[in-house]
Amino acid sequence: MVDQPVWEQIGSSFVTHYYQMFDSDRSRLGAIYTDASCLTWEGQQFQGKLDIVKKLTSLPFTKIAHSITAQDHQPTPDCCILSMVVGQLKADNDPVMGFHQTFILKNVNDSWVCTNDMFRLALHNFG
Amino acid sequence: MSDGDYDYLIKFLALGDSGVGKTSFLYQYTDGKFNSKFITTVGIDFREKRVVYKSTGPDGSSGKGQKIHMQLWDTAGQERFRSLTTAFFRDAMGFLLLFDLTNEQSFLNVRNWMSQLQIHAYCENPDIVLCGNKCDLSDQRAVSEDEARELAEKYGIPYFETSAANGQNVNQAVDVLLDLIMKRMERCVDKSWIPDGTVRANGNTNADLSESPDKSKCTC
Repeated sequence: MVDQPVWEQIGSSFVTHYYQMFDSDRSRLGAIYTDASCLTWEGQQFQGKLDIVKKLTSLPFTKIAHSITAQDHQPTPDCCILSMVVGQLKADNDPVMGFHQTFILKNVNDSWVCTNDMFRLALHNFG
Repeated sequence: MSDGDYDYLIKFLALGDSGVGKTSFLYQYTDGKFNSKFITTVGIDFREKRVVYKSTGPDGSSGKGQKIHMQLWDTAGQERFRSLTTAFFRDAMGFLLLFDLTNEQSFLNVRNWMSQLQIHAYCENPDIVLCGNKCDLSDQRAVSEDEARELAEKYGIPYFETSAANGQNVNQAVDVLLDLIMKRMERCVDKSWIPDGTVRANGNTNADLSESPDKSKCTC
């Protein structure tokens, strides 16, 4: 069996870790961002660990579960990893909705951090 | 359901905080059922129902029945991830604004929903019916009928205490909303301010649309 490329391994373990944290205690997500990280959440922009965590923790649901349908990872020319996730989520008792999320991961001092994060719901009839 | 044999297509939106029972309310209206574990199929975002509307003149005489194809739109819960945009409100003619009688915050948020409506709806005073839902849970009631009526009066909109669980006042609330919309249409000779495509005479029934303003003039 051929080993997975290293970016696939890093990317997929990041994705697993990210959604586990998001679904259990999203206030801990600060650990994966830096003060220069950017989040675009449904078109709204946030920069820096503090603002990003503030946004994520202020989302008005108490329970959330993500289910990952597919993910793709690529190495970038500057030695980062680009990851795209397609999945479904369920917030409290609302209907299941699709979503897309894209990350750029960068190696800083021997650990991987998320420098860029973009999120959109995959809804097309609601504007 | 999707055949074109109707006189008017009318789109309604159900609004209100998450968990107030919008989906169950619409399900009760279209299917006459309540399912407390109701889960929508992903991709299905509105329900449909056909009704016959009989306009009543000021003298109480009822006119010819008109076939109405109603589309009832629901949110998928995306308001938790982002604010609803103008695109969501596009083409909607009438609004069912729901709150949960057992949840005071959902009642307080009615004001926010009203201002959202004033910003995003096709005009500043669209037709709205306020529904205090879950009135079957009387032992958990957190909002009195009086304070709800008072708020509805302040906005000049009808109020109903409804139960998606047992069906109480569900049909009445939608009927009153439909009546408000049909009356607005009859009042309006120049229909240019009605959102495009939401109300249309269908096929050979075109005559009904152009006739109706004249008819209402006659009865006045």
